[in-house]
Amino acid sequence: MSNNGINKDQWVALFEEIGLGESAMKKWHELFEARHPQGHASFLSWLGISEEEISQIRDWSSGNQAR
Amino acid sequence: MWTIGRMSRHFALSRSTLLYYDEIDLLNPSGRDLNGYRLYGPEERARMERITVLREAGVPLKKIRRVLAGDASKIQTVLEQRLSHINREIGALRTQQSLILRLLQTPASQQGGRVMNKDRWVEILDAAGIDDAGKWEWHAAFERLSPDGHQDFLESLGIDAEEIRSIRHWSRQASDHQE
Repeated sequence: MSNNGINKDQWVALFEEIGLGESAMKKWHELFEARHPQGHASFLSWLGISEEEISQIRDWSSGNQAR
Repeated sequence: MWTIGRMSRHFALSRSTLLYYDEIDLLNPSGRDLNGYRLYGPEERARMERITVLREAGVPLKKIRRVLAGDASKIQTVLEQRLSHINREIGALRTQQSLILRLLQTPASQQGGRVMNKDRWVEILDAAGIDDAGKWEWHAAFERLSPDGHQDFLESLGIDAEEIRSIRHWSRQASDHQE
């Protein structure tokens, strides 16, 4: 179930606009996954990201693979 | 020389486990005492240390035995196989988790019981080093970029309608000041 108004690219654009670079965004994902893994999954799903990509994002966010 | 009792306490394993290791030739005692009880010497203890490490990695006992039989390349293979297996399991569990989360998301959810709520969101932003000013800038940008998306996002956190109106109002103000 995705939302009405925002997709992944727009979300990334928002973070870039407030000055978060790629490494900051990676850190954000890592924190999210470490502290609230279900919240992370739920949020990624809300952005309309595919199950497969969600799985990949959560994988590198938990340090399982190098990005 | 250690008795099976001492081995058991030191390595936090039951005696029956150690008897089983003897039976499958994973760890044989170095000898027996006059009463026929098993005795374990320094070599056996060193071997048990190695067994413990591989057990903690989840390697099956029979594979541990083969590894310790002396083939150096085997340990690499065995660990890679184990890692592969674990990664597949994690992937499968995550797929299930995502699916269940989707099934559980209903409009009737309370804010506190939600998987993601405002407090948790704020906690993550704080931990990522985004201060209050940063958060407001972000809300302002969100409101500019996609007012509907902003509304939807705030609703998904279970924030009540009045607070959402307030946040969005201030976000538009912050935007205006920037231009």
